Amino acid sequence: MRTPDKPFYFNTSEHLLRIGRQKATTLCELWQALQTCPDDSIFQHTFCTLQEHHFIQQGFSNDFAHWCLSACNEPVLAEQLASVDVREFTAIEGLRRRMVSIVDDFLQRHPRSGSKAGHEPFYFCAADIVVLPTPFSPDSLPGFLDGLKQVSVHSIHHHFIEARLRLHLMSNDFSQWLEEEVGLPQAADAIERIDIYTNTMEGVRQQIATIVEQASNWDNQN
Amino acid sequence: MKSQSEDQRATVTRSTAGSQTPAEAAEATTEIEVPDIGAPEPVATEPSRGNGRPLPPSVLTPPPPAPPPHLDDYRNIIGQAHLDALQFLARDLKGKSIKMVNSTAVGGGVAEILNRLVPLLAELEVPTHWDVITGGNDFFEVTKAFHNALHGSSYELTKAAQEIFLMYNEQNRERLQFGEEMVVIHDPQPVGLIRSRDKTRASWVWRCHIDLSNPDAHVWDFLRPFVERYDAAIFSSQSFARQLPIPQYLFYPCIDPLSEKNKELPDAVVQKICDDFGIDRSRPIVTQVSRFDRLKDPVGVVHAYKLAKKYVDCQLVLAGGGASDDPEGAVVLQEVKRAAGDDRDIIILDLPPWCALEINAIQRASTIVVQKSLKEGFGLTVTEALWKGKPTIAGAVGGIPNQIIHKLTGVLVHSVEGCAYQIRYLLTHPDFAKRIGASGHEHVKENFLMTTNVKRWLLLIRILERAKSRRATGR
Repeated sequence: MRTPDKPFYFNTSEHLLRIGRQKATTLCELWQALQTCPDDSIFQHTFCTLQEHHFIQQGFSNDFAHWCLSACNEPVLAEQLASVDVREFTAIEGLRRRMVSIVDDFLQRHPRSGSKAGHEPFYFCAADIVVLPTPFSPDSLPGFLDGLKQVSVHSIHHHFIEARLRLHLMSNDFSQWLEEEVGLPQAADAIERIDIYTNTMEGVRQQIATIVEQASNWDNQN
Repeated sequence: MKSQSEDQRATVTRSTAGSQTPAEAAEATTEIEVPDIGAPEPVATEPSRGNGRPLPPSVLTPPPPAPPPHLDDYRNIIGQAHLDALQFLARDLKGKSIKMVNSTAVGGGVAEILNRLVPLLAELEVPTHWDVITGGNDFFEVTKAFHNALHGSSYELTKAAQEIFLMYNEQNRERLQFGEEMVVIHDPQPVGLIRSRDKTRASWVWRCHIDLSNPDAHVWDFLRPFVERYDAAIFSSQSFARQLPIPQYLFYPCIDPLSEKNKELPDAVVQKICDDFGIDRSRPIVTQVSRFDRLKDPVGVVHAYKLAKKYVDCQLVLAGGGASDDPEGAVVLQEVKRAAGDDRDIIILDLPPWCALEINAIQRASTIVVQKSLKEGFGLTVTEALWKGKPTIAGAVGGIPNQIIHKLTGVLVHSVEGCAYQIRYLLTHPDFAKRIGASGHEHVKENFLMTTNVKRWLLLIRILERAKSRRATGR
């Protein structure tokens, strides 16, 4: 463990939802719209929706999966879409292709399901995002832990989930800083493996804190 | 002398003087006779407990209004980090100001929201001026008809109605000044003020609080050219919006966690109010809070309760108003009483509109809250129940699915039978009920509180200012 050269700047991002021009009333329409909607709509209904529903521990993954279950009553398709982990993607295009491919496969196997109208339409939205600073920019591990415990869950989402698209790396801001600035590669790796789909964002925060505290204690003892 | 309920039935209040501020407008009012529509006379002439027991005297007169809260008062509710975000957002907006324009200073959801929003924005040093448009009876009759037509009622749009609408919009346009950076016009009544846009430096926003998903085509075709001249429009739900060439934002309606309706209450207050109304807190309580309106399906709730009661012990509380000042409400109340029969465990409360504290206590005492609407706007009674951590069963209509994620933040139902089953299930699975209640509370905290609303306005002005500056520099 070493003293970081650069502080960790805790930021947060705030989202303002825009209602898009596209909507889908059937699975076929969803399949078509998924191919043509703006990137920021895909981002909204996968990455951002996790922030809006950060308090749900289990059973919510993305808006497409939720609609397929609640409006179209297609649990198989819903489970397949829900199993997509946004953290496997460092660019929206790959995520879009995966979603389109899952719906495409399903419709080929269940062509009749494609034209059945859902209980309610799926409205494509997007968000205008404003990144804000927080009062926390620690240059030590204790300071990092203090900031981590005090920032909002929006900040955790910003650094832990949205960061992939910014970094274009299979990593997150916390792991990057801990590995590059503090020399804690194992802690960085452990943080990267936290499952966001079986935790609330508050749970993610606690797990990160625990990993960092354990790494810090272990390093101090050795 | 007319009784209070007769007064409520016979008149509506509108501001008419050339007043500039909501406070002045609230004072300068006149009474307008509501046209006789030949509807049946209401049966109930004063608020009452439906099964014969009179309401306690404490609810018969309105309490004095509470002072609006300060930003710091929300710290324990939303946390310091969210307050910090508001401060950071506002910091870059110092020197920018907002004007809000609507059609009434008192009564109605828009005035209620603005009464809280304006002081909070001011506290963040984003001065926000609130103006109320003025007009004669003829104007408000036309705008009321427009309102109903935009909700889907058929309406014959005459040349005379168009002229009245335009004339009062022009009068207000001449009277009002628009020196702010952002002008927000609420609802269709003042939409024509956009004609002042070219003389100002402001970004113009149309905030539509009503459901435009199925409007009368003639009225919408008349209003649409005005709307299209705005820089942005705001709707309360994705499903309420129209296809427009301008950006459309989603601002969910919100509740104030510090209002009489939603603030924390000592258990002794909850107990006293339950005692006053004859509600037994030692047994499960299933509650629906809503006007006595067929679209809220109170009779369906009685049937669902009766089906559930074959399996589980519970009481049903139907708390609402509308029977004293609305002829149809009185008829619906009679239908509810007939459906309830002589069941002493059904408690029907026809409350006056100022009973926010009592509603708060009843919701807090409830084991389950139901909102079995057949058609709904956003459904703020659902928001209130979720905020109180109550497991909530609601019809999957209007804005309710935005609030209730089935089996995660509440339960959605589509029938009397479904509602009955979910009452049984939630009463017999308290762990699940507690879990969805807790998630529902968090959902409201994240998305449907007044402080989130403040944040959305700050974000919007920042985004529009950025767009304006890009246009100016050609980037």
